[in-house]
Amino acid sequence: MVSGALLFQSLILGLLLGGLYALLAAGLTLYFGIMRVVMLAHAAFIILSAYLAWWFSSVTGLDPMISLVGSVPLFYGIGYLLHRYLLSRLRPTTMTMMSVLLTFGIALAIEGLLGLVWTGTQRRINLPYGPTSISFLGAQIPVVQIISFGLAALSLGVLYLIMKRTQFGRSLRATIQHGQAAQLVGIDTTKVAGMGFGLGLATAAIGGAALSLQATIYPSLHWHWIGPLMAIIVVGGLGSIPGAAIAALALGTIRVLLEIPMGPTWAQTIFYVALFLTLMLRPQGFFGGRLAQRF
Amino acid sequence: MTDAGGAIALRTEALSKSFGGVHAVDDATTEFFEGKINGLIGPNGSGKTTFFNCVTGMIQPDSGRVYYRDREITRWQPHKVARTGLGRTFQLCRVFPRLTVLDNLLVAVHPAHPLAYLGRPRELALVERARGILGRVGLEHLETAEARDISYGQQKLLELAAALMADPEMVMLDEPAGGVNPALIERIAALVAELNAEGTTFLVVEHNMEFIMNLCHHVVVFDRGRPIAAGTADQVQQDPKVLEAYLGV
Amino acid sequence: MPNDSEVRTAVAPPGSTAVARLRSLGSGRTGPLVGIVVVIAVLATWPLLAANPYMLSAGVIVLNFAVFATAWNLMGGLTGYVSLGHIAFFGLGSYGTGLAVIHLGINSFVAVLLAAIVVGLISLLVGWAALRVRGASFVIVTIAIVLVLLLVFQSWRSVTGGSSGLVVPRPFPDMLRPEHHRVFFYIFLGLLALVLVSYLVVDRSRLGQALKAIREDEDKAQSLGIPTALLKLAAFGISCFLTAIAGGVYALWFGDLDPIFQFDVVLSSQIALMALLGGVRYLFGPLVGAIIVGSALEYFLLNFGETQFHLVATGLLLVAVVLFAPDGVLALGAALIRRLGPSATSIREMSAADVRAQQDERAAARGAGAGGSVTEEPSERASDD
Repeated sequence: MVSGALLFQSLILGLLLGGLYALLAAGLTLYFGIMRVVMLAHAAFIILSAYLAWWFSSVTGLDPMISLVGSVPLFYGIGYLLHRYLLSRLRPTTMTMMSVLLTFGIALAIEGLLGLVWTGTQRRINLPYGPTSISFLGAQIPVVQIISFGLAALSLGVLYLIMKRTQFGRSLRATIQHGQAAQLVGIDTTKVAGMGFGLGLATAAIGGAALSLQATIYPSLHWHWIGPLMAIIVVGGLGSIPGAAIAALALGTIRVLLEIPMGPTWAQTIFYVALFLTLMLRPQGFFGGRLAQRF
Repeated sequence: MTDAGGAIALRTEALSKSFGGVHAVDDATTEFFEGKINGLIGPNGSGKTTFFNCVTGMIQPDSGRVYYRDREITRWQPHKVARTGLGRTFQLCRVFPRLTVLDNLLVAVHPAHPLAYLGRPRELALVERARGILGRVGLEHLETAEARDISYGQQKLLELAAALMADPEMVMLDEPAGGVNPALIERIAALVAELNAEGTTFLVVEHNMEFIMNLCHHVVVFDRGRPIAAGTADQVQQDPKVLEAYLGV
Repeated sequence: MPNDSEVRTAVAPPGSTAVARLRSLGSGRTGPLVGIVVVIAVLATWPLLAANPYMLSAGVIVLNFAVFATAWNLMGGLTGYVSLGHIAFFGLGSYGTGLAVIHLGINSFVAVLLAAIVVGLISLLVGWAALRVRGASFVIVTIAIVLVLLLVFQSWRSVTGGSSGLVVPRPFPDMLRPEHHRVFFYIFLGLLALVLVSYLVVDRSRLGQALKAIREDEDKAQSLGIPTALLKLAAFGISCFLTAIAGGVYALWFGDLDPIFQFDVVLSSQIALMALLGGVRYLFGPLVGAIIVGSALEYFLLNFGETQFHLVATGLLLVAVVLFAPDGVLALGAALIRRLGPSATSIREMSAADVRAQQDERAAARGAGAGGSVTEEPSERASDD
């Protein structure tokens, strides 16, 4: 039988991982809310950011987190341009399908470019505090996991404040809920949507840097992430950020707990099981709106 | 005088649907009569279209029941509802843009057995029937055009023609007069009256008062998701509740 | 109407334009069949032209793509449900065939059929769940199917051999390599004919008409009484069955299966790319796309080796197709022909009155040309798409 201590440790680790999932999925569900777009390149951008963090750290010897100073504005800009010059050019009637293919193409291009520039070799950042763990009620918690969870929680908090408390957030929410109505009250929806995309991609920059602390990275790693992230946003209800966060915490925790009896590979299938169960029982997702079935 | 003579074709019992706390349809109990042109009117946002969608199965009501000719059809899938003889059109006219006008009609014919789907789509008898209906609505000259290439008014007529192709006993029209010119409104009204004289029951949703009042035998008025009055056009027009809802007096 | 095409040829006026004749060839009842025969005959010359066994094997690969993409199009093109996970059924077909040959000891081609039937049944179960959602959610689900199967087949080593692979016994053990490629080239060619005819049959049936209605507007289709769930499932099942056959034959040809390749979501997307690039509304669209993309992939592999370059190229090509040619190269070609043809304006810019005038004109021309009676006209229009 599994010891209580191991179970407790797994529970903590699961919640920490779930926090990171929540940040990574937030961007994905944000794009969906804005444009009914499934942004398949999201995970590829996450890996790109992780590579930038690794590269920055190995060239300068500084802490990889400092790379965020450059990568967050960069990703914000890319997101804005991506929306402005690629996605908004698609015909509204075929938007959903074509955007999937378009972002899939972008994901492949990013993966290929990472391979061309940095080869397919696996990379890992060597941090002075990398192997350190903190003892908490008998559980050994690696410091890097705490840092990435903290970063995720902080970013989600900021995202929440932006959405709820700023003029831009209000405009963005109005655009999400009813684009035409938002236009009528004088909101430049194209610009707001572009900024929303930038915001989503900025979360990918932060998430990628957080990921680089604790994971070995390689160009095709994004496939490993996009599946679970998509499952999370469907389970949470497409377009719902709180839904995605709850689903992420729950599935992340279950995943880590399942690793004890099943090993990591089989545990990973929990995301797909959850995805299929959601579609069978409640296609609109468990926390979000009624969008999922139609899109 | 009440016009509530004749059998009830469509009936709802305490039908309710809300979206995130907004009661779009709220405890709606209504009756619509066989062989009549029934009207459903109400101000914008009074839940007419949601009511329509609940009846035809496009969305699932939260509670309540729907009966068509004494048969409960609550939560039936839309294609099953259509096959019981209840046709419909959509508010913002919906046709199949990249099918031809003729094909827009031919898809509306359902074979009795699923295996018949392997058969040819253009049996001569069906094509003739489709041409007959196109002739009636005045689109026979456009049958080979793709639906996206004809005008909006023509698309409205096409949608009506497609609904007729399935030979429905009752047709539900969602804002047939919306966004079309007065001449075409008259034509649609004449067509509805004509088809009704031949035995087709209608339920027309409109907020164009005039259209409803001139055409309908029986009118139900919706406000904030519930029926507030029912009767002949004259009756409901004099109902103080209706005046209040419509004019805010 | 058995004599429908006869009537049509009888009324076809001698003075009809080349474009009209071309149009009737593309949409008549026998035209596309003739087209399939011609295309297959042309492709059959490849083994005679191929300079070396490598070119021959490249031909086999491209044909495999063409079969796969056409089978994909039966779902993706007709219903508009873009699946990026069809490789799942390809992979299941190949593993099913391999395992059946190894464990049941049956004839290799019987094994292909058996595996395809089983996969077809599985696809009905999967489709029943996946087709409950539309658009982007459907795409998510199809990708998820591939990712989950990849995990399962990599982990379930005792059955699948995991990453070390599964060796499938060859159906013709005594055959030399070039001969082996040649035989499989013709097998795949036969398969291509089968898939093209299947697509044609579905496309021309009432099912195809209903599927296209679903593609255009699913809610509307439902409201007209079309049992959308059932018909989508039927299309999905047929498409997956044909895909599984392609996978099974691939297993016999290649002889070595690895989950990384059999459940490769990138290849899966390349298949969708081929269909889109060629044109999903055209019978030969996926074939054209497969030839273009397949040749390009081989070219990149030959000239740049095993780099990541082909990923970048595929990605950028996908982006370009979506942005600039969402209807495919065949649509661009058709538009070009139309512009060069006698009717200079596209139908889009014609008003109803113009259409009417044009039809009257055509009817008059027809009447003059064939001296035809009024009754003949409808029967032509009935079969004119």
